[in-house]
Amino acid sequence: MLDTVVILRRELKSYFLSPIAYVFGMLMLGVLLFFASTSLQNNGPASMQQFFALLPLILVIFVPGLTMRLWAEEQKLGTIQLLMTFPVRTIHLVLGKFLAAVIFLAFVLLLTIGLPLTIGAYGKLDWPPVLGAYLATVMFAGSFVAVGMFWSSTTSDQIIALLLSLVSLALLYALGYPVLIDLMTGSGWVPAWFVDLVNGISPFKYFVSISRGVIDSRDIIYFTCFCGFFLYANALVLNNRRHTG
Amino acid sequence: MIEVQQLEKNYGFARALKGISFSVSKGEVIGFLGPNGAGKSTTMKVLTGYLLPSGGGATVSGLDVVSHSLKVRRNIGYLPETTPLYGEMRVDDYLRFVAEIRGVGFTKRKAAIARAVELCGLARVTGKNIDELSKGYRQRVGLAQAIVHEPPVLILDEPTSGLDPNQIVEVRKLIRRLGEEHTVVLSTHYLQEVEKSCSRVIIINQGEIVADGTHDSLVSERPAGALRARVRGPEEQVTARCTEALPGCRVEVVARHDGAIDYVLEAGTDAAPVAEAFSRMVVQNGWDLLELVREKATLEDVFRALTQEAQREALHA
Repeated sequence: MLDTVVILRRELKSYFLSPIAYVFGMLMLGVLLFFASTSLQNNGPASMQQFFALLPLILVIFVPGLTMRLWAEEQKLGTIQLLMTFPVRTIHLVLGKFLAAVIFLAFVLLLTIGLPLTIGAYGKLDWPPVLGAYLATVMFAGSFVAVGMFWSSTTSDQIIALLLSLVSLALLYALGYPVLIDLMTGSGWVPAWFVDLVNGISPFKYFVSISRGVIDSRDIIYFTCFCGFFLYANALVLNNRRHTG
Repeated sequence: MIEVQQLEKNYGFARALKGISFSVSKGEVIGFLGPNGAGKSTTMKVLTGYLLPSGGGATVSGLDVVSHSLKVRRNIGYLPETTPLYGEMRVDDYLRFVAEIRGVGFTKRKAAIARAVELCGLARVTGKNIDELSKGYRQRVGLAQAIVHEPPVLILDEPTSGLDPNQIVEVRKLIRRLGEEHTVVLSTHYLQEVEKSCSRVIIINQGEIVADGTHDSLVSERPAGALRARVRGPEEQVTARCTEALPGCRVEVVARHDGAIDYVLEAGTDAAPVAEAFSRMVVQNGWDLLELVREKATLEDVFRALTQEAQREALHA
């Protein structure tokens, strides 16, 4: 497990050493705060609801931009040869990279804390749901990172990784979207088990559940399984390359 | 130290290694020689655990490279062909990262990094970003990375490619120093490199080992096809008779000095009958044979002969 920490530290350091991280962080922060500021304009109740409602969609766009390079770049530069010949289990490499990306995203999210603080200063803000929503967002972002990283491991071309991640995340997002689910149930010809299955797979549903401020162990288990599945698949893809070269 | 048994590697339908076997004992510096695509890098990638073999096997320090991959990797320092480095990192940070992940303990880490920096002559650039370094320094950082955990076995894939002549000399010097403490396997295109830094040569061609031995043994096994002769006599006649007496042999005048003529006689494969015929011819004509030496084969001759022979055979087959 120590290996994971070493990889994590190197990854995190390189986020903050490269301009990509700053450009990425600033852009994401800018977009987040721009949309969220609309919630300050109307004279409604002090709440972060609008901000958190927007977050998943913003993550669909930004997470692939962050994860596309994670393995593709290593493969292009050949540093993958270094990583894969270190005396480290592949899954530990994967975990290290994953955690570093999640921590980086969490850091960017943390920078938005000024928003609830401001709202709280002008009105009565209910904090537990806000903190729950932050936690939900980090887990939700984590599940997206796991998917994006998986695609990145399948190619040495960052653009391909980006497109594959964008499409699959958009799909995952849409599958949990209440309107779509209602539409499917309402249409009558889609079998109920299929609607449940589709709705059950999408992390969006669990995000909505946690972001209400109620942390259910089922939601935690779901996110752990979802990430675990894609991280394991990621390690399999990398190990399989030892056969094909 | 390293045992390779009938090692095979296929990339799809392409057979990169067709069952090669060799062994390397402790303290040897082995030079892998071969044309591009011969299978040098593939062999190294299997030894370092980057690739899995398709058949056969290999052990490093008695440990199987497949079943004990992690332990084997701990015993190896590897410089891949592309010298992969993280450009955004500082040299010292990079070496610290490799030392940590390679399991160099906290207490020994500082000394280990200092040793690698000293051996590779990196003291002046430790605080610089790797991106800012010249190709020569980058190569040295790659070498430092490979030795920082003091592995018993070093595997260096073309350690001098892309360097200028001065840098090449330096890196070779470094490899010779490393050879005192480590078992080294290196691959190269430069034939002199093998002569200068390796105790043994393995020539590999189209996935097969075509020669394995010390430099001297390889060179002496191979009869050189060329003779150098100095004859005193009328040049035109000598040359004419020479071509008559030695059919199929290329005769060339390379120098003339006070009545003596220097010839190079290229006979193809075996020079011995040519030497006999030539000396008889000179004596019969009453000229003076001042010198007749068999030219020593160079490693280059051996390499060309072995790798091109195989190509010709492949064409005929």
